[in-house]
Amino acid sequence: MRTLRNPFLNWLVEHPTAAGFAVVGAGIVLLALLPILLYVLPIRKVPLRYNLRNLQNRWKTTLVTALAFTFVTGLLTGMLSFVRGMDRLTESSGHPGNVIVLSDGATDEAFSNLPPMAVEQLPRDLQREVQKTEDGQWLFSKEVYVIVMYMIPNPSAGGRERRFVQMRGLDNIPVAAAVHDVKLAVGDWPREPFVRKVDGFGNAKEIVIGHGVARAFGSDVGKKMLEPGDTVVLGPETWVVSGVMEEGGNSFGSEIWTRDLFVQQGFGRENSYCSYVVRTASADKAKLAAQEIKNFKLERNLQAFTERAYYAKMSETSKQFSFAIYIVAVIMAIGGVLGVMNTMYAAISQRGKDIGVLRLMGYRRWQILLSFQLESLLIALLGGVLVCVVAFLLFNGTTVSSIISSGVGGGGKSVVLRLIFDTFVFGFGLTFSLLMGALGGFFPSLSAMRLRPLESLR
Amino acid sequence: MFTRLYEQIAADPINLAAAIITLIVLVAGAAYIVTYPRLFMLGLKNLRRHFLRTALTSAAIGVLAFMITTIWTIIFFIDLITVERSKDLKIIVTYRWSVPSQMPITHADYLNPASSQFLPELVDAQGNKLYGPNDFMTWSFYGGTTDPAKITPDTLILFFVMEPEQIIPMMDDLGDLDPKLVEALKDKPQGCLLGTDKLKALDKKVGERFKLTSINYKGIDLEFEIVGVLPDGRYNASAIMRMDYFNKSFEQYARANNGRAHPLANKRLNLIWLRVGDRDKFDQIGSIVMKSPRFSNFPVKVETASSLVGSFLDAYRDIFLAMKFVIVPGMLVIMALVMANAISITVRERRGEMAVMKVLGYRPNQVFLLIVGEAVFVGAVAGLLAAGATFAFFNLRWGGIPFRIGFFPVFRIPEAALMWGLAIGTLTALAGCLIPAWTARSVKVSEVFSKVA
Amino acid sequence: MAEPIMHIRNVVKSFTRGGEEITVLRNLNLEVAEGEFLGIMGPSGSGKTTLLNLIAGLDKPNRGEVWIGGRCVSTMTESQLAAWRTRNIGFIFQFYHLLPVLTAYENVELPLLLLPISSQKRRDQVLNALDLVGLSDRMYHRPGQLSGGQQQRVGIARAIVTDPTLIVADEPTGDLDARSAVEILNLMGELQKGLNKTILLVTHDPRAAERTQRIVHLEKGQLLESEEMQAAGLMAPSDSFQAKAQG
Repeated sequence: MRTLRNPFLNWLVEHPTAAGFAVVGAGIVLLALLPILLYVLPIRKVPLRYNLRNLQNRWKTTLVTALAFTFVTGLLTGMLSFVRGMDRLTESSGHPGNVIVLSDGATDEAFSNLPPMAVEQLPRDLQREVQKTEDGQWLFSKEVYVIVMYMIPNPSAGGRERRFVQMRGLDNIPVAAAVHDVKLAVGDWPREPFVRKVDGFGNAKEIVIGHGVARAFGSDVGKKMLEPGDTVVLGPETWVVSGVMEEGGNSFGSEIWTRDLFVQQGFGRENSYCSYVVRTASADKAKLAAQEIKNFKLERNLQAFTERAYYAKMSETSKQFSFAIYIVAVIMAIGGVLGVMNTMYAAISQRGKDIGVLRLMGYRRWQILLSFQLESLLIALLGGVLVCVVAFLLFNGTTVSSIISSGVGGGGKSVVLRLIFDTFVFGFGLTFSLLMGALGGFFPSLSAMRLRPLESLR
Repeated sequence: MFTRLYEQIAADPINLAAAIITLIVLVAGAAYIVTYPRLFMLGLKNLRRHFLRTALTSAAIGVLAFMITTIWTIIFFIDLITVERSKDLKIIVTYRWSVPSQMPITHADYLNPASSQFLPELVDAQGNKLYGPNDFMTWSFYGGTTDPAKITPDTLILFFVMEPEQIIPMMDDLGDLDPKLVEALKDKPQGCLLGTDKLKALDKKVGERFKLTSINYKGIDLEFEIVGVLPDGRYNASAIMRMDYFNKSFEQYARANNGRAHPLANKRLNLIWLRVGDRDKFDQIGSIVMKSPRFSNFPVKVETASSLVGSFLDAYRDIFLAMKFVIVPGMLVIMALVMANAISITVRERRGEMAVMKVLGYRPNQVFLLIVGEAVFVGAVAGLLAAGATFAFFNLRWGGIPFRIGFFPVFRIPEAALMWGLAIGTLTALAGCLIPAWTARSVKVSEVFSKVA
Repeated sequence: MAEPIMHIRNVVKSFTRGGEEITVLRNLNLEVAEGEFLGIMGPSGSGKTTLLNLIAGLDKPNRGEVWIGGRCVSTMTESQLAAWRTRNIGFIFQFYHLLPVLTAYENVELPLLLLPISSQKRRDQVLNALDLVGLSDRMYHRPGQLSGGQQQRVGIARAIVTDPTLIVADEPTGDLDARSAVEILNLMGELQKGLNKTILLVTHDPRAAERTQRIVHLEKGQLLESEEMQAAGLMAPSDSFQAKAQG
């Protein structure tokens, strides 16, 4: 294949399919943007109020068509807000200065197996990079992570009887909280001896639960949220909530934290950990430390990632869903485009005489094209704006639970995320709606442009 | 095909509804054509006269029906798999308290009817075992990569480790597997069966060998010979290897490490499957197993396959709910709106014509029926064709919809999808056309004069 | 006769329909002087519409030329023609062809939007045109709220608002009752006399044709000149019109 000097052109030649899509996409964008641009410019054109009044005159059709746009765009923005929420979650989980250490070969915490280790075992120059708390403790957290069975109390008949929940045992809970930047919304961190007497039950082990867990478990017992003092049966034991984490938009919101020993003993993980998390001073330091740790041999080889990189890998699921969403969106859009074509063809056949008169007055073909294209865009805009208002009012901040995973080896974390309707989502939705309008209006507008003036007056 | 259709209708109330609607549409359509043949022909002519609009509307209905069929297939199978079957009930024994379930390999002996260690509680007073050797299967998972430097879904293989003779009697959807494949697997100790996708990813042929570096059993790296290919469909991304090869590799590991067993050697059994038949048997066997002191050091739980799958899919629950109760209804509304738009345009353009029809003696109901007939015809035909196209497109090309959720690689479009297409096409057409058709019905005869004047 | 404002020279126009060639205009010649009120009569199918198409530059002759206001219409490009039409030709139609969603004022304003003039000037011209046709009090009504005669007055205002070289009226009274038709014809006569407009009136109504200064008959693709001129200036301007034109 001939090599072109321009790298962009070169790329297009090498990717004919992508180039095709790019050309079509650019064309559609042009169809949407050019009319708007031309309308804003002080050039001569069919007055906009002509279109507005027509839309108003057949308001039923306008509304039905706009509503179709609203639904298409609404579904799209809804799905997009989900992906955005997921992306934000994977982005904001993980501190830039943190390094997560897993055993070699493990792609997921659940499959990792590490021996106990102390910071002092690390080489000197590595030790220096580990940050400390104000009272001089290493910001180094040893964690054991298991997925445990939660039996739903009094499940409804035929409904779900159990859930999997993610439980994290920590060698030092306050240090872990500092490493992960997790704060409590209510209650206290578990303290020595990590058990507490519960009325009518006896001694229960203390846990801290994520915001999402508090809500989900709360709904099982008919409360808005679980509170400190409430008990939960997990695996073979009963536990008592000592605190609920602040809602932080990170993946810890769907976790339960407790002392490492309880998890190791309760779930067959004696004397082993899944991950170490180390806080360094900065993202750069974290990167270097991760590299160093990989070279360092304990009993077995270690794997280390910056926490950011680790969670970024977890966005595989969201990639798959984004892909599916774009396909669904394109197909829905085809439906919407065909719908608006119906409307515009009908509008044009009804207004053939108008077009004829305008042409006889001296309006050019492109001015007719512009006018009808603009009318189609107006319908799209109406539909798009309607979406933004409704979606924002109804769904912004709604939480949904989902799963994030690296798509490798079947692991994954279930998480609670918020739907995010930000300017990107709205901008995308509105643009998408306009593009549908542009495409749907184009062919009818072309046919309007081609009408022969005197014949259309017959 | 018809037996499958019947099973699908019996399995799901939505399919039953679709079947009923399909039946109604066919009967009502036939009745309409017989009662008002002229009206029907007139409707067809009208559709042909506004060919562009008919084409645009059917295309819009078609693509949306295509999308709904696709999404609903996924929902249908997820529902089907998480709803307990009343016959041929299979149950799963796993580690009780956490995931992944890791059990001592000896657990299998207690539940294997062919073993001498079989739990005596599972034998009834007459000396009959509560289930036979063909109702028992063990699973371990052995995962490895062909390229440890690059762990991607393409280089990864996750094996079901099991006894070859358990495949046909116990594996879902492999009941009609060619017995020759099982024989081939039995012949070769290092043999394995691969799904078509895996075979493609490895770029290997049957008879060739490959090596894996283990992901979940560190230090147990194995070599395999491909002896056969699993049938196209649900096992495209799967692989099956022999339990004895797996077990021997642990002995080898211990020998190579001065008698020190692999750290996971005693936790290498993941699942035990039992076929118990019905719910009563499940309760009976379940409580025996859960109570047995044999398992007290490594407690197990017993649950139906559907309930276990359901727990695994819990993380996806909101996504499925959104698909089921937001996306699909949303698309149905879009279909109805497209239809409403098209029909109301038609009615507005043809007001004069309707008035003339009334002058000529057509009754309002006949005018109404004419419009409804046109709409439903377009909707039903477009919906049916779209569903048929979806069926053919996905099933012939990939053996189903290639959307990976959890451990489902593809979702085969069920035969019932054809009825879904017809039903949603009809229902959305009806929903969209009723108001405009009513407008047409109530056109005043006097309009004929004002139009002409 | 003064220098002709419109000059059609040896025009031939034919179409092929179903493989058969139909010649609509055969070697047609016509001159119209500035300020002339010309009637063109002919039965349907005689080629009136084809002739109008050629004059408006909507179609090109197979042979021959059409000159209007010193420019050869038949050789202009389409975009030149569109701009030229705005300034040089005003159309009046049998069915008025007002845009139903726009008010009388806005309908009259439409052609002016294509011209590079200030909005103040545009407003003045629209108001003046509406005043001339006597509809100043109805300018915010939409066509649906006006009678047929009133609608045609709006149509006339729209045709004259750009001060075109030539006004082409295609059966302007064809859809009107007798009284309104007379009013419209009076109005057109006044425009021609009072403002020295050149008007081409295509009609098959002899009563309408009577009001013109000269009548030509289009018959089988050729023009037959009626030698006798219509008596010019026989019509008295209506009082109301004069009052408005001056007020």
